Amino acid sequence: MWASINRPPTPNREEDPQKELSLREIINVKLVESGEKEKLMELLRERLVECGWRDEMKALCRAYARKKGRNNVTVDDLIHVITPKGRASVPDSVKAELLQRIQSFLMSSSSLR
Amino acid sequence: MSSSTDAPVSPRSQFALACFEELLETAVVDVASECHRIARLGLDRGVDAEEEELRAWAARDHPGAEEGGGAVGGGGGNKGVVDVFGQVLPAVAADLVDCMNCGRPVAAGRFAPHLEKCMGKGRKARTKTTRSSTAGRTRNNNGSAASSYSPYSSPAIANRASLPNGVTDGSASVTGEDHSNHILPEP
Repeated sequence: MWASINRPPTPNREEDPQKELSLREIINVKLVESGEKEKLMELLRERLVECGWRDEMKALCRAYARKKGRNNVTVDDLIHVITPKGRASVPDSVKAELLQRIQSFLMSSSSLR
Repeated sequence: MSSSTDAPVSPRSQFALACFEELLETAVVDVASECHRIARLGLDRGVDAEEEELRAWAARDHPGAEEGGGAVGGGGGNKGVVDVFGQVLPAVAADLVDCMNCGRPVAAGRFAPHLEKCMGKGRKARTKTTRSSTAGRTRNNNGSAASSYSPYSSPAIANRASLPNGVTDGSASVTGEDHSNHILPEP
């Protein structure tokens, strides 16, 4: 009897994932509204150009376009071709820098709450 | 529930990683769309030409390859490079290009050093060229002044009547200036 009374009701359990999703969405909205997401995007682009990642990706796209022919290539094909290589070839320093900035933003946003 | 509401480290790091993956995906899409646009519009032909030029330079570095390609011999290799179409190209570009600064015809192979001197920038700048271009401008002004004459001469006559009394040489140059002044109101 006591155990069943102490347990949380079923609707609360259902609400938990909704709250989690809404929490992530709220954080995303804060990222966009504060302009931090745009800053992070620009920083990422700058770092990737510096380390030569972008030129490497361009070379891969060019090679694939030659293979398949200029008129037969589509953006989705290029994305599917270079996404795995792109993710694998990002330098650890760039990734660590951006993750650190994102986490610091999350801490500041959580402190605001 | 209490731990999740407190926002522990692991969900935060997971969220940060998700954000990074999202940003990286956006960067990948940017590169893919840019390369797709270049490929569809045919803007990569210049790149192909550059690569062919690099191959030509590599072939020049290895004359043995040229002999293997079917050239007559060392003499042919020394004289010039044979391109894809079988035409012999000179070592230095001989096409004439008109300089936009001084108007002189210059060989294409020597156009860059010529510009460096002509435009007065870099280590080998020449100030004389700048002066000669300025002199050219004054000549153009004199020619345009001499070519036309204004029918309304009553105020000009007064100016001429006053100025010739001073200096005869000065009057000649002043006459030119008067003509240039009269040209403006007509249009």
